[in-house]
Amino acid sequence: MNDKNKIIKQTFQKVFDDLEVVLGWKQGFDSLHMTPAFIRKASDLDQLVFNPQCVQNLSGYLFSTLKAADPEKQGKIGICVKGCDSRSLTALIQEGLVERDRVYIVGIPCKGVVDVKKLRNLKPSLTEISGITIEADEVVIEADGKTERFPIADVLAHKCLQCRYPNPLIYDALIGEPVTARVAQDAARPAVEQLDALSLEARRNFWLTEMDRCIRCYACRNACPMCVCQDSCIAETRSPKWLSQRSDISEKFLFHMIRTVHLAGRCTECGECMRVCPVDIPVTLLMEKMNCIVKELFDYEAGIDPESKPPLQTYDSSKTGI
Amino acid sequence: MKKYLMENLQQNSTEEQKIRIIGFLCNWCSYGGADTAGVCRFKQPTDLRIIRIPCTGRMDPMFAIKALINGADGVLVSGCHPNDCHYSVGNFYARRRMEALKRFLPFVGIDTQRFHYTWVSASEGQVWQQVVTEFTEKIHQLGPNPGFHINPDIQQPLSLAL
Amino acid sequence: MTECYYISQNELPAVLETVSGLMDVWVPLKTGTHKTAIEFAPFTPGCRPIFDRQSTSSPKSVLFPQSETLFKFRYLKDESDPTRQTVALTDLEEIRPALVFGLRPCDARGFLVFDKVFLDGIAKDPYYAKRREKTVLATLACKTPDSACFCSSVGSGPGDRQNSDLWIIPIDDGFVIEALTEKGREVLPRFGKPAGESQIKQAEKVQKHIDGLTVGKADLTGAGSEFTRRFTDTEFWRDQVSKCLSCGMCTFNCPTCYCFNITDDAHGLEGERLRSWDSCMFNHYTREASGHNPRPEKYERFRNRVGHKFSYFPERYDGMMACCGCGRCIRNCPVSMDIRQIVRSLKENADV
Repeated sequence: MNDKNKIIKQTFQKVFDDLEVVLGWKQGFDSLHMTPAFIRKASDLDQLVFNPQCVQNLSGYLFSTLKAADPEKQGKIGICVKGCDSRSLTALIQEGLVERDRVYIVGIPCKGVVDVKKLRNLKPSLTEISGITIEADEVVIEADGKTERFPIADVLAHKCLQCRYPNPLIYDALIGEPVTARVAQDAARPAVEQLDALSLEARRNFWLTEMDRCIRCYACRNACPMCVCQDSCIAETRSPKWLSQRSDISEKFLFHMIRTVHLAGRCTECGECMRVCPVDIPVTLLMEKMNCIVKELFDYEAGIDPESKPPLQTYDSSKTGI
Repeated sequence: MKKYLMENLQQNSTEEQKIRIIGFLCNWCSYGGADTAGVCRFKQPTDLRIIRIPCTGRMDPMFAIKALINGADGVLVSGCHPNDCHYSVGNFYARRRMEALKRFLPFVGIDTQRFHYTWVSASEGQVWQQVVTEFTEKIHQLGPNPGFHINPDIQQPLSLAL
Repeated sequence: MTECYYISQNELPAVLETVSGLMDVWVPLKTGTHKTAIEFAPFTPGCRPIFDRQSTSSPKSVLFPQSETLFKFRYLKDESDPTRQTVALTDLEEIRPALVFGLRPCDARGFLVFDKVFLDGIAKDPYYAKRREKTVLATLACKTPDSACFCSSVGSGPGDRQNSDLWIIPIDDGFVIEALTEKGREVLPRFGKPAGESQIKQAEKVQKHIDGLTVGKADLTGAGSEFTRRFTDTEFWRDQVSKCLSCGMCTFNCPTCYCFNITDDAHGLEGERLRSWDSCMFNHYTREASGHNPRPEKYERFRNRVGHKFSYFPERYDGMMACCGCGRCIRNCPVSMDIRQIVRSLKENADV
């Protein structure tokens, strides 16, 4: 693991003069939590790490970082991406929100990241760890001088369990060897299937119960790399007033529907919305279902090909086409 | 149909059985079509409230969702036939969005039959009559919108594969 | 320790059930169907309160709901003169007494901050006051601080009894409960039976252990002057805050954040006035009617949050900080922002 950190550092060092800032991960407030790092000094490159706790999708920062960058210099932004993150980055390029030649992408093949909430559930007092390794079907956690093994489903993030793109699809430099995907390319999404199997009424009830907990902190929206409206989100406009301040289920339901509809054909399933939700609403499942529909209708997946156009931003003029 | 209209009249007489359908009609074709139907005095059910939009390209899927959440029992969208759009391509964009939405609604527990999109031109008064009657009939069969309230009697799926 | 009761873990659910017949009982529950979200929710028979770790969200919503109807209004048309209207108001509903069982000392301290703002000023907030008066806070002495906790850094501690009505000390197989206020004394007899000598001894031992804990390394009090000095250091703030997502997770889960917004929600001639949580991390929090926003950037908003908690509030209220050190904003932050580190760097690099 240390080797990887060193290679990441060296890779950035070589091009650092051309870069305005490097987006990577560094250790957060304890050894379990990693946090996004904005590196502006070459000497700080030492802080960069990559491990299964590097959960955040950094491509969400690109749009605003580019906007804030010095327009004179036209400097590049260095960024570390995992497989899933690279799809978000590609999707941003597709929509013209990020210019490909303004980013220097360091791709890191990824075996999966931990879901800190799952881990906290498993071991409530765990904070200091010395290392997490992901094996084929087990996660090895070293903490307090002890080594423990857990099945991957108990520790890894939901998105990783059904990850079809563990290797970055777009990069300038690749760190380490590509890894094999955990599931087949056309694998189903088990949770979505489970919900699809319920009756219409039960499904409505499921979502209402889930959304009832929503506190409207909008973390899902703000963490989403594709929710680029950010401060101008219609969920908060007064005119037109889409949502009231009432904390009724219907308001929350509408908010999540707005997000789903706006992300139709754009979501890359990086799972950030679900990860950041403080009340555990499986928000990503809405997008997953929408993605299944988009795939079915338009044979399209977001964030794969930087040249292709998202299906809802274009049309098919044939009489019978969709 | 006569029989249905009679029933409809009777149903409308009691407040709680009232069915509300929101129609989003494009200004150039379907709104004209509905007008034609009116001018020709074709009989139509009275449960539809029409909102005129400039083009189905303006039809934000959220309009439909908001209407359904706020208690509409059905949402009907109608615009120019493909290739006849006043703005050339508005309805091409629209049909993609509408189809994606239609297929998505059941996932959150909204009956997909409560949402319908179609194309009616300004001269097709009779087609409009048929569309609106059929859709209204379907919504009557489905009954009122069940609303968005948690039903504590329904067992939640215990563990999702997350 | 006087007036101590003992209740075993097994008996607790039954007691809470009985009490919930008399008042609303709020306990920390796993509400998320799948993972770990723990929030304060009404006790229902068969539910399993979680006492071994801190709840994800704070119990502030019991006294300060996310959205509450202040009153309802209805315009009445004057039939003789259609140009005139009168307004009829319906006041708020009766508030039921409540017991919050199993909050932490940090959570209780959060209400201390609320009290200052809502009760001690020139105007008393009637909505909060009514709830506050009728709510009993049963606080669990905190045995399980984690790496995000820092209550000792802000002048509190895991054994801080301030502001609680009942004090719960977890012992081996149950809880020793002590009444700290008159409100507490009234409900105490419902919790088991008077504690025996050995149970009291054991509780004293636990209490002593907890009192000896220091949670959080640095002292974060008295950062006001450093904050003022660093206020205009835009680069410092931009640097510290660049990773912030500007979501409202930290403020909505914070036991001391009390900012609210007031909106009217009307349809036709009827409507209601709502008070709902607002967050200084949101862009539109300071947006003015003209469209001008004095805090358009996220570093300005975050700076305000730090300033409010560690500088403005203590200045206004005799050094008391608007932070209880519960660590929720750190532990649950999507990008692991650490407000402790920011306040520390205010001090450390004060002369840069």
